[in-house]
Amino acid sequence: MGVFTALRISASALTAERLRMDVIANNIANQQTTRTPEGGPYRRRVVVFAPVQPAKPVGHAKEINRGMPAQLGVRVAAILEDRRPGVKVYDPDHPDADPDGYVTYPNVDIVSEMVNMMAAARAYEANLIAAQTTKSMALKALEIGR
Amino acid sequence: MPIDPTMRTNAVLSPSVRGLATQADRARPEAVGGASFGELVRDALEQLNRLQQEADDAATRLALGEPVDLHDVMIAVQKADLGFQLALQVRNKLIEAYQEIMRMQV
Repeated sequence: MGVFTALRISASALTAERLRMDVIANNIANQQTTRTPEGGPYRRRVVVFAPVQPAKPVGHAKEINRGMPAQLGVRVAAILEDRRPGVKVYDPDHPDADPDGYVTYPNVDIVSEMVNMMAAARAYEANLIAAQTTKSMALKALEIGR
Repeated sequence: MPIDPTMRTNAVLSPSVRGLATQADRARPEAVGGASFGELVRDALEQLNRLQQEADDAATRLALGEPVDLHDVMIAVQKADLGFQLALQVRNKLIEAYQEIMRMQV
């Protein structure tokens, strides 16, 4: 059924935005973390979105080839680390200070993270509204038979 | 919880829809070629059943605390609800057609 395709697309977008929100929350939680198991301070993480590639045409393959884009929905392609160096603060008494007395803090800019968080929340809401609109369109179509 | 009333309604009414399908299957003869009407109705009901089971599974997993997204559960419940509304309308039309035929004078 065509309406379920639209709902599946919105569901994939909601999942992707929620995962992005998780990563942003992780960045904000770790913005003062100076030690990690891999060594060095915490590194800011970024999500990369990509369209979903259907593995092979399923069922409604004709519908896909009728001018519709072959990729339906979004997925998180990768979670990358931000390689920029962190902020160095002079604090020789800190347990993680290097020989020069500088402590490297994570490269997490709290203002950018807050803005990204608002963007992720708004994108989540927008996809929710898209799903609700699809549902109400389908219900209105059912009223034809009434 | 808003999920429950929908599921109870579906559980109560779907046996009657299935009963109508088997009646329709026995009453109508097989088409000469292609799928018979009874087969089409049965396929549609199987899909509807599958949707409802998916919604049940998703809600159960969420209640058990497994890492399933809340919006996935809501969308699964909504799909089951849409499928059920469609089946309801089809059933109404079938009953109307049946009554129309029964009203014909012999």
